[in-house]
Amino acid sequence: MALMESLVRVLASEAPRHNITQIKKVKLTVGALTHALPDALRFAFSVLREQPLFAPGAELEIEERKTRCRCRDCGADFAVEGNLGFLCPGCGGFAVDIIQGRELQIDYFEGD
Amino acid sequence: MQIKLGQNLLGANGVIAGEIRRLMEEKGIFLLNLMSSPGAGKTTLLEKTLTALKDRLRLAVIEGDVATTKDAERIARLGISVVQINTHGACHLDAAMVRDVLPAFDLDSLDLLIVENVGNLVCPAEFDLGESMKVVVLSTTEGNDKVLKYPLMFREADALLLNKIDLLPFTDFHLDELADDLGRIHPGLPRFDLSARTGEGMERWIAWLLAQVEGHRRR
Ligand SMILES: [Zn+2]
Repeated sequence: MALMESLVRVLASEAPRHNITQIKKVKLTVGALTHALPDALRFAFSVLREQPLFAPGAELEIEERKTRCRCRDCGADFAVEGNLGFLCPGCGGFAVDIIQGRELQIDYFEGD
Repeated sequence: MQIKLGQNLLGANGVIAGEIRRLMEEKGIFLLNLMSSPGAGKTTLLEKTLTALKDRLRLAVIEGDVATTKDAERIARLGISVVQINTHGACHLDAAMVRDVLPAFDLDSLDLLIVENVGNLVCPAEFDLGESMKVVVLSTTEGNDKVLKYPLMFREADALLLNKIDLLPFTDFHLDELADDLGRIHPGLPRFDLSARTGEGMERWIAWLLAQVEGHRRR
């Protein structure tokens, strides 16, 4: 819910800057590591879209991103399946950076 | 009309966390973000840690709590300066909440400021508070599944305190399973098995923390 409130804050300040009075669609990217459950986000959105900022029946699209890591030793780029395996499948190294999966981003919004 | 934003929902938090981090560097303060699930025994652990350190370091505490001031009162009884942040139901602290209470402390006379985060393993991992280090507390009574369920928390942590080891014989917690899961999520993570209640294992953790704070001050 806190995330959705933060979403509304961002939209409430961005929409007037683009002369948009009613938002019809919002697109989010949500990484697997964030624990922001898409169903919970959709529910929160269904409550928040009752505000005048949104057009009736405004839509929320969520793109889910899997976790990916890159190995600092050999440079291998690999997917983390489920929540396990933050180890490099190439060299077995554990000095890996999370390069995808932490996103919690508003890609765009549409409206009139 | 479509407006592209590409804006991180937590972006504003990151900016404030950066401000806090710079301020802490300038003042030479080690900011510790202490996290756990509810019931891990974090407040007792904190009390014991503060008691062990209060003659050696200048300490203060920021106590995050969903609604009550009980934990803050326990810390205040130790004679340590404590400010409570009441999140009014929110499941985590954010950087703005921490920044807003900093004026309550004399930052020029502090070595270690500990933030006791709200008991929850999910959201606190997302919010950078400008801390020098994140420490996660897990207890043997919570079961082994937490590490795999909340990998980001254990991946981000700089140390893991396994509390309530005195209760190990009465739980189905397995130390080898914990080691195995951590090996796949965060190999090399410093881990301290201890019991805040009996004091077992506390010395190793205290010595390690002291070394971190002193190492930070010398930088
Ligand atoms: Zn590798």
